[in-house]
Amino acid sequence: MATNGCKNFLGRLDSWIEGERPAEAKAHLRDCASCQTVIEDLSAIQIEARSWNQLESEAPERVWTALRAQLEQEGLIRAEQPEREVTPVATSPADWFGAFFARIPRPVLAGAYLAILIALGFALSGPVNQPSNEAKWLEGTRVVSSPISAQLDSFEQSSLANRDLNPAITASLHQNLAIVDNYISLCEKSVQEEPENEVARDYLYSAYKQKADLLAQIGERGENVQ
Amino acid sequence: MPEAEAIRLAQQGNAPAFERLYRLHNRRVYSLCLRMVSNTAEAEDLTQEAFLQLFRKIATFRGESAFSTWLHRLAVNVVLMRLRKKSGTEASLDEMTEPDDESGGPRRDFGGPDLRLSGSIDRVNLQRAVEQLPPGYKSVFVLHDVQGYEHNEIAKIMECSIGNSKSQLHKARMRLRELLHEALRDKAREDRKAASEGSGGED
Repeated sequence: MATNGCKNFLGRLDSWIEGERPAEAKAHLRDCASCQTVIEDLSAIQIEARSWNQLESEAPERVWTALRAQLEQEGLIRAEQPEREVTPVATSPADWFGAFFARIPRPVLAGAYLAILIALGFALSGPVNQPSNEAKWLEGTRVVSSPISAQLDSFEQSSLANRDLNPAITASLHQNLAIVDNYISLCEKSVQEEPENEVARDYLYSAYKQKADLLAQIGERGENVQ
Repeated sequence: MPEAEAIRLAQQGNAPAFERLYRLHNRRVYSLCLRMVSNTAEAEDLTQEAFLQLFRKIATFRGESAFSTWLHRLAVNVVLMRLRKKSGTEASLDEMTEPDDESGGPRRDFGGPDLRLSGSIDRVNLQRAVEQLPPGYKSVFVLHDVQGYEHNEIAKIMECSIGNSKSQLHKARMRLRELLHEALRDKAREDRKAASEGSGGED
């Protein structure tokens, strides 16, 4: 039967559970079966509850998969960058130039090389201070543009080979290449029709350069994907 | 990668840092959710939601409280919001506990049942009893008695006073005791009924 002693004891139950053992409470508990039962029950609950902690398990992997997809969709995380090779520290001027070029992706170097070749070719093919001669202009343009076209074709093949790109990206790249190729054809035709027209030659130069840039981008994107 | 470094990198949007933080804490958050809702699919959903909220807000984390406390506060809020939606109310934490006696102190349980719980509690019947607790009681019970948090930590997680945390825990335990005793009495009654039916059938 509950007494005032029970009321007092149960009113301070938290303290008892937390380890406080006042003499008055001890004396009451020694003589009160009802309060002893309460303490035993609460201890049994606590022991069982604490054992659950050992049953903790990881959330299934699908939770992280779904979470990551959501984070990417919301733009909260950016895609992982592939690790680049560590370039050794240069100790001599030759090493310095080597290290400088080593940092530049190969497709970019190839694109730059083509751009320089195109610019150089057109600079040499235009006999600026020579008397106008249509045959000479036409021959000069043919001599320069043929190797450039061959270089671009070779570069195109190497840029597109073995690239494991997204089909949608590949389709888009091919579409862009077709547009540039068409532009080059038109420019070449214009130059053939008017070999002395410097504007037409500038357009052709610009078209070749566009294709070189585009191929360099494809090559670089392919490297990042791989 | 240490947690502090992972937090710093995650604040810059670094994907491996997000994953590191998830791997460090998902176990505790998932367990909390699972104990609160007793349903694996729902616990997975809540875990995902808690981490999503965490990562959305991670740029605002300034380290004023422990990262795990901050995460658990988000997780508890996510769970309580879900439970509130389920019950169709927008009640505060206090309203999610049971009405108390007029003194505001713990419910007195004088002259309790004769049956003793010691030796008769197992994981299943305790889980069933926990499921019947009001959400506020349940949160404090799971955080303290299952996950081992101290009252000062729970006060930060639940955004309440330490006294409030202690009071809620006391009420939760006493309510659990009642529920477990009810279950024991029901079982004893069923056993007696089955025994009497069995003996009647033999006569």
